[in-house]
Amino acid sequence: MIATLLKLSFAGIRLRLLASTLTILLTGAAAATIVLTLEVGTTARDPWMRTFNAAHGAHVLASFRSEADSRTVANLPGVVESDRPVPMATATMIVDGREVRVLLAGLDGQPQINVPVQMEGSGVRAGTIVLENSLAQALGIPVGTSLTFTTPSGPNELEVVGTAVLPSQPRYPRSNPGLAWVTRTTLEQLVPDQGSWRWQGAVRLTDPSTAPAFVGSAYRLFPPGTVYLQSWQDQRAEALREADPIKVIATAYALLLIIVSVAVIAILIGARVSGQYREIALLKAVGLTPRQVSTIFAIEAATLGAVGILIGFVPGVLLAPRLAAPAAATLLGSPEVAANPWHILVAGGVILPVIVVSAFAAARKSTRSTVLQAIHSGTLLPASGSRLGRAITASALPIPMMLGLRDLFARRNRAVWLIFAIVVTGTAMVATLSMQAALNARPSGEVSDVPAELPALAFTLDAVLAVITWSALVAVSLLSIRERIRDFGVLRAIGLTPNQVTSSLVSVHSAIALISSLISIPVGLALYLAIYWLASGSSDTKLVTTPWWWLVAVPIAIPFATAVASSLPARLAAQIPPADAVRYE
Amino acid sequence: MTNVIEARGISKDYGTGASQVLALHAVNLAVERGAFVAIMGPSGCGKSTLLNLLAGLDRPTAGEVWLDGERIDELSEADLARLRRRKVGFVFQSFNLIPTLSAGENVELPLRLAGRRRRDARRTADRLLADLGIENRRNTAPAVLSGGEQQRVALARALANAPDIVFADEPTGNLDSVAAREVLGLLRSVRERGQTLLVVTHDARVAAAADRVVTLRDGQVSTETTLGAVRQVAQLLEVGQRS
Repeated sequence: MIATLLKLSFAGIRLRLLASTLTILLTGAAAATIVLTLEVGTTARDPWMRTFNAAHGAHVLASFRSEADSRTVANLPGVVESDRPVPMATATMIVDGREVRVLLAGLDGQPQINVPVQMEGSGVRAGTIVLENSLAQALGIPVGTSLTFTTPSGPNELEVVGTAVLPSQPRYPRSNPGLAWVTRTTLEQLVPDQGSWRWQGAVRLTDPSTAPAFVGSAYRLFPPGTVYLQSWQDQRAEALREADPIKVIATAYALLLIIVSVAVIAILIGARVSGQYREIALLKAVGLTPRQVSTIFAIEAATLGAVGILIGFVPGVLLAPRLAAPAAATLLGSPEVAANPWHILVAGGVILPVIVVSAFAAARKSTRSTVLQAIHSGTLLPASGSRLGRAITASALPIPMMLGLRDLFARRNRAVWLIFAIVVTGTAMVATLSMQAALNARPSGEVSDVPAELPALAFTLDAVLAVITWSALVAVSLLSIRERIRDFGVLRAIGLTPNQVTSSLVSVHSAIALISSLISIPVGLALYLAIYWLASGSSDTKLVTTPWWWLVAVPIAIPFATAVASSLPARLAAQIPPADAVRYE
Repeated sequence: MTNVIEARGISKDYGTGASQVLALHAVNLAVERGAFVAIMGPSGCGKSTLLNLLAGLDRPTAGEVWLDGERIDELSEADLARLRRRKVGFVFQSFNLIPTLSAGENVELPLRLAGRRRRDARRTADRLLADLGIENRRNTAPAVLSGGEQQRVALARALANAPDIVFADEPTGNLDSVAAREVLGLLRSVRERGQTLLVVTHDARVAAAADRVVTLRDGQVSTETTLGAVRQVAQLLEVGQRS
């Protein structure tokens, strides 16, 4: 029996290539976003480790108010190596006429632990400065530039002689103020008030894995708030947080794509069941139970879903290092392809149950009619006579629109799924536009902590959602036409013109799209605020700076795209001679 | 009497090349206003094709079709639709009611398409349904109506705009004998109202009620029998015998 079910499933896939392709595209896109979410956080792991090794990184880094406190940590059990504490102080430099705060480390000779890894130029010497690489890149300061510092005794000029990275320093401007190295003498000139200095101590441990426990026990030795300790694992997590905004966006889109896939699978399976109504009845007549018939559709969805997940894994894996690329400014080397096989299993574990259950449920609902009913009617009869239907008929709507609405609401499940898919797509678009508007609204010259690739990723995923929803709309239009060809023939026989037949389909889908896209505006703004809150912890509604004409573009573009999606099939249907249409089965 | 329908040498082919099928070949037919014409013939002889061409539901491959003095085979699809709205009612063998509309709404539809106000359309639909004895089925979905009831609704829909010509394709073909008798009675009443009636049928009882029977064979008119005169003579003989 299983062999028979599999055979019927594969026959279904082969016969309906358009629907099969759409399912693969949908699951592939959902898988790509899930894989991307999982991969993006790990692509910088190896380059960070290389940087840590090159810098002879600190297993524990500590920031104290006094130099003496650092010795307490260096003398704790488990410490295998310690270095002289480095004084740190904040100063102000002028870059392009703007004041920029910078954290200066005053080096007294070459440090032994947490050594700045030189990227460009030379090491620091008296009267010069070395900038942390991401700070130099973000502010556009090349080696050789002369920087002016404001000091109590007046302006002080320092030449930039090099750039360097440190495994403990996240990317500027996420870590703001940025970091720079000067000699201790220079630091004393720039920030003579030593009361404002802090001291950074670095130690290495016999067993690096005990760093978190070491940090915990060290904290207990000092009054609260006087010391800040960071294990090497914390440093790495902080550096890899670069990928957080990408992860939040990719997770949000993964959810949206999964939601849309439920809607689209329900529509496609509904279409299949409707198209094969008589065939399904015949399968039941020869002994298949409704559960077995539904299983055929579930196997089909699972097979297509598995193919989609395998295909989606590739772009997810390849895109992750590109989207994590900004982290390269703080690392030795760029983020690399991780391709963790577990990630494909996670994607499959999330997507497959969703599509299998939605396929099974959609098919199960449609296999309840009796065999005889199905064979006689040949099609799934729509509901009629509802109060809503009567209200539509009694309304002052033009007749083509009234007929289209009656048909749409006679197949309520499909209408609801369609509205749902359009709302989700519109929501994603509004959220992306809001994000872009917020980026555009930043004062000119202000460096963004959002990776430049983020809006590009969001717009790409919007495009994927739009293509999927648009394809679903075409599928729904084709399905509606297929189901109504005979009705169209009858309507034309009693006086509907071809244009009225076309508009009965196009106007209704466009109206539905308009309503759905209007709903998507507030939902999209809410999603944007939620994403912002998840990524940054802030939820101020003033963050919404989306121009009203951008928002208005959504309920114009979506109904327009919908009209295009449904008009071509509708026009083709309207051209079928009524005599042929009424004979259609 | 004037001809309300005229077919002048109409032919209809389906398919191309080796698979081409000639459904009708050079058919000439004229139907006078107010006549009841039955078209008969074996299956596949082209009866329904002829009816579809005369009603403007399809276009001939060759020849001309005239309806109420207007050549319709050259009209655009939109003009044809408007013409059908005004002048033609069509009854299908398989009823073809719109499944998403109730019985009453199916009857209202051509009235509203013709520009009648909602209330007016509703009143007319109610009257038609009452005339056909199914006023209590107004809000019922087509799927739950019996075959006879569905065909009555289809007839009410065809008669809604009081068209000059009513075409019916096997109107009793899917009905039991009781329902078929009822529909035949209704067709007779159409004819009595002076509307022209063209019916494709296999049913001898329907043909017997017609003024003229046109028989097709292999896409051509094989015989034409005028029954009206025969029936009048028979009626006179019957009256004479009684007296």
